[in-house]
Amino acid sequence: MNSWKTAVAWVGKGMAYAVMGLFSLMTIYPVIWLIYNSFKTNAEFMVDKISLPKEWILSNYVGAWTLGTFDMLIGNSVIFTLVSAVGIIFISVLAGFGFAKMPNKATAPIYGSFVMGILLSITSLMVPLFIQVSQLDRMISDGFHALGMFTGHDVHVFYNTSFGVILIYVGSGLPMAVYLCTEYIKSIPTSLVEAARIDGATYFSIFWRIILPMSTPIATTIVVLNVPGLWNEFALINIMVSDETLKTLPLGILRFNGQRSVDYGKQFAALVIGMAPMLVFYFLFRKQITAGVSGGAVKG
Amino acid sequence: MKRLALVLALVAFAAMSLVAADKTVLKFLYYADSSQAGYADDMATWAKFKAANTDIDLQMEILFDRPYAQKLTAYAAAGTVPDVVYMWPTTNEASSLLQSKKMMKDLKTVLPADFLANFTSASLDPSAQTSKQLSELPQSFTFTTVMYANVGLLKSLGLSVPKTYAELKALVPKLRVKNVQTVLLPNADKWPAQSCLFSTISGRLLGDAFIDNVLAGKAKFTDKAFVDALAFYGQLYTDGIINISNVQMGYGDGPGLFAANKAAFIIDGDWRVGAYLTDKSNGKALIDPAKQASDFELLNFVAIPGEKNVNTASAIAGTGLGINKDLSGAKLDAAKRLLMYYYGKEVQTVKLETGAFIPTRTDVTSSKLEPLSQKQIKYYSTVPKTTYVLDGALDPTVFGPLNDGLQGIPLGAQTPAEVAALMQKAQDALPKK
Amino acid sequence: MARAVRNRAETNWAYWSFITPAFVLYLFVFGFPIILSFVLSVSNYGGGKMFGGDPWSLVGLGEYFKLANDSNFWLALKNNIYIVLISVLGQIPLAFVLAYIIFRKIVRWGEGWQAILYVPAIISVIVLGIMWKMIFASNGLLADIINAMDTQTFLTSLNGLLANGLNVTDDFVTKLLAISDPRALTGFTNPLADIKDLILSNGYTTQNLEVFRSDMVNLLAPKWTPDFLSKQDIAMIPILFVTLWVWTGMYIIMFHANMQKIDTAIIEAARIDGASELQVLSHVIVPNLSGVLANAAILCIAGSLNTFALIWAMTAGGPMNITQVLAIYMFQNAFIGVPNFPLANAISVFIVLFSFILIGLTLLVERRYGGRE
Repeated sequence: MNSWKTAVAWVGKGMAYAVMGLFSLMTIYPVIWLIYNSFKTNAEFMVDKISLPKEWILSNYVGAWTLGTFDMLIGNSVIFTLVSAVGIIFISVLAGFGFAKMPNKATAPIYGSFVMGILLSITSLMVPLFIQVSQLDRMISDGFHALGMFTGHDVHVFYNTSFGVILIYVGSGLPMAVYLCTEYIKSIPTSLVEAARIDGATYFSIFWRIILPMSTPIATTIVVLNVPGLWNEFALINIMVSDETLKTLPLGILRFNGQRSVDYGKQFAALVIGMAPMLVFYFLFRKQITAGVSGGAVKG
Repeated sequence: MKRLALVLALVAFAAMSLVAADKTVLKFLYYADSSQAGYADDMATWAKFKAANTDIDLQMEILFDRPYAQKLTAYAAAGTVPDVVYMWPTTNEASSLLQSKKMMKDLKTVLPADFLANFTSASLDPSAQTSKQLSELPQSFTFTTVMYANVGLLKSLGLSVPKTYAELKALVPKLRVKNVQTVLLPNADKWPAQSCLFSTISGRLLGDAFIDNVLAGKAKFTDKAFVDALAFYGQLYTDGIINISNVQMGYGDGPGLFAANKAAFIIDGDWRVGAYLTDKSNGKALIDPAKQASDFELLNFVAIPGEKNVNTASAIAGTGLGINKDLSGAKLDAAKRLLMYYYGKEVQTVKLETGAFIPTRTDVTSSKLEPLSQKQIKYYSTVPKTTYVLDGALDPTVFGPLNDGLQGIPLGAQTPAEVAALMQKAQDALPKK
Repeated sequence: MARAVRNRAETNWAYWSFITPAFVLYLFVFGFPIILSFVLSVSNYGGGKMFGGDPWSLVGLGEYFKLANDSNFWLALKNNIYIVLISVLGQIPLAFVLAYIIFRKIVRWGEGWQAILYVPAIISVIVLGIMWKMIFASNGLLADIINAMDTQTFLTSLNGLLANGLNVTDDFVTKLLAISDPRALTGFTNPLADIKDLILSNGYTTQNLEVFRSDMVNLLAPKWTPDFLSKQDIAMIPILFVTLWVWTGMYIIMFHANMQKIDTAIIEAARIDGASELQVLSHVIVPNLSGVLANAAILCIAGSLNTFALIWAMTAGGPMNITQVLAIYMFQNAFIGVPNFPLANAISVFIVLFSFILIGLTLLVERRYGGRE
């Protein structure tokens, strides 16, 4: 009886190790494989994809870094990722406060529409989004020209501006963030808000002094859920920006990577350059990130 | 109120930031692969143009492959096509709308006649472009079926270069015992088998007249002759000439395997010569120049049984730059200067020397060509007549099932007759002209 | 009294000024594009200037009927459902069980496992796609491994045939052909005679058996090709596997962290009362984590509809479109070859509807089973 139970426990344990071991191997090996192959010459990689480089060369990195103008792209990536993440948090905590603590008939339909939006994938709306943005810009441009301002130039507010990119990044992160914030803020005792109101505090100061600080756990969650996606995003920014000085890291990687491209060495170097910052960030802040993911426990 | 003011300030800021000095703004969408050997030289030519034309504010957007396709489609969809665009002559690539909707100028009306006189007559042929005008000036004339041969490898195994299909087939077991594939044709991306091989098979067995007849409704893909051409393609796999693993091999894998003596031949477009040349950034070549001279050749595909059009190979007008049809005045003048610089002798010589392509500009020559580039020029003289590249002649809805079928037939998932039927169905569904 | 009215007005004003920024942005990024998408899907718009270019007009629901008659569309939908299923029924239960095992310290190095398993979630899909493509390629890592094993098997059989040295008779060649890969023989009109000729003409002797062995391995040993990747339904397996792998780590962390918030005394008490680990899991842990589970399910479905980039990088929907999902199908109509904007937008609108159905189902399930607030 007991030995039978022990056997089951051992099999279960074994399977657990097997699954985790396999998944871990699948994670670690390809990453290491990619890294060491980025030090091979293209010719060597073509012949042998598995063993370590015979001669470790750096020219792939030198080539990729200069040709890809990665120094500029990394700066842009950092700015877009940070500003967008802050924007998402600020706007969604604000809205979450409204939805959670201020009774209003409009909450049901509007909040409902946000919840619906969680599943919308913005990639499938790229064409209409681009048409909308460029038509808006054209109208604004025509408006300025009619007033005699900026004549001879197209005026861009949304297309090909950092403002436009951040607007769209923030917008695309909102449905999930608003949902998480609203549910989280619901769990903050209403009595806190009421007490502050009786003391004569305005809603904005309540937001600033009570709600925002108390939302730190859910804000961390939002950061953790959004930052990798923002950092790695390439489809939207490719469409929304044409100026080389506004582009980001993933677009730099894609310049080395097409179906007709042949130089694997530089391609892999570019991929490692793109991957490294996130990996370093992750291993430095692993504890905080782990805590952040768990913040999704809003009703736990 | 504060928020409104903030938004207005942001709008004004965004608008202000884009107001440059009094220069002619020229938006230019270019296409380039950063991993290509000639990329740095290419960028240097553009830097030179900017320095020499300070009155032009050249806003250049450099994209490659999929990002290029996405961006250009978005531009075309919204009607905001840049002033100058790198584009294709037919509808098989992302620039298709520019051709099919005639969004570009006819360059014959823009560029001076004495300038155009420097280019081969084939490149100036308007009927080679979907718009039936010179929407772009083809910088090259692309031969899509080249049989690159590792003659050195054949020699070392005591084998000779095949001229006919039977001779090619006889090589298979002799090469295979030494773990060498006979012909490489990496086709995971679907277009290579159609563009680089089947177009030539169809051209040799049936000819362009057959395709014209199908387009005119006077013949059908389901005719026995076309089905037989597909069956012949399938036979290349059952005869072991092309290993089945090629069907799911990425296009990028071919040159490396070929250069590493893993195959005696590779079938690819002439544009791929550039992959084997010396990369100036590190001085390394996939095949070093001495070997290029002694061991490698560019051959026309072997004679196939029953071919009507002996030795023809598929070819098509190449890519080039086009000018947005809405341009006028100073902008048009700037665009014209850009094109005349790009198609000028200096830049085209750089293109030739970096192995990007063999220019259609006739007065461009160089003594600094690597052996494989010299052999590329020689290869052209072995092709007496060219034939259609099918993705340039057929509608995308028709060559789509063909591309799929060229994977499906070797895998045994589809029969030649089924593929032909799907193509005919798509052809019949097209609006009649 | 006056104060209450003023208070209500102020609450109302605060409410609107707090939710407006989010709502306006939401409409800007999702709302209007969806409406525009619908308009385009019932139009004959073919690109160019929307106003002042080629005239275009609304023509009706024709594109939707075209979709309904298109077998590619149904295949894409089916594949999409597979991905949703593997996400909800694969990632979540697997992550839950693994999180529990780590939580109960049934395995060692729990922290370490978690740290590694989360890594795929932060790597760019461009990188993931390229890595996996190389692994599943016909000349990739998996092929190399399987070929090495197949070669070993073939060599063992071949050595059996060569036990008494090399003696090229019809009988020997027949036996040789029997252990060969049939696909290696399709090129020969008469394999028996042709292979015999080949062996004889190459002049192998018992002295150079090594050469003979390696030549025969090259010529006749089974070569693995990932041809299962060209069969409908089966071709989705690598994609489903990778989908499972990418996100499971994130849910492990999410579940594990929340398990740690449960009072361990309850669990210990249950264990002392004789409850098995399984009973603890189903009677203590699951009810305590129902809210987290519902959130995870929503995240999961959202993620599964966004796998576009990963699949595009791995297979681009090929070969022969059999690994297509709705987003790739849309993408091909919008961005590859001659774009068909009405059709592409009809697919987009359908994807939106499909999302609504899924979220409706999730909320229904949550209300039914998760309502412990």
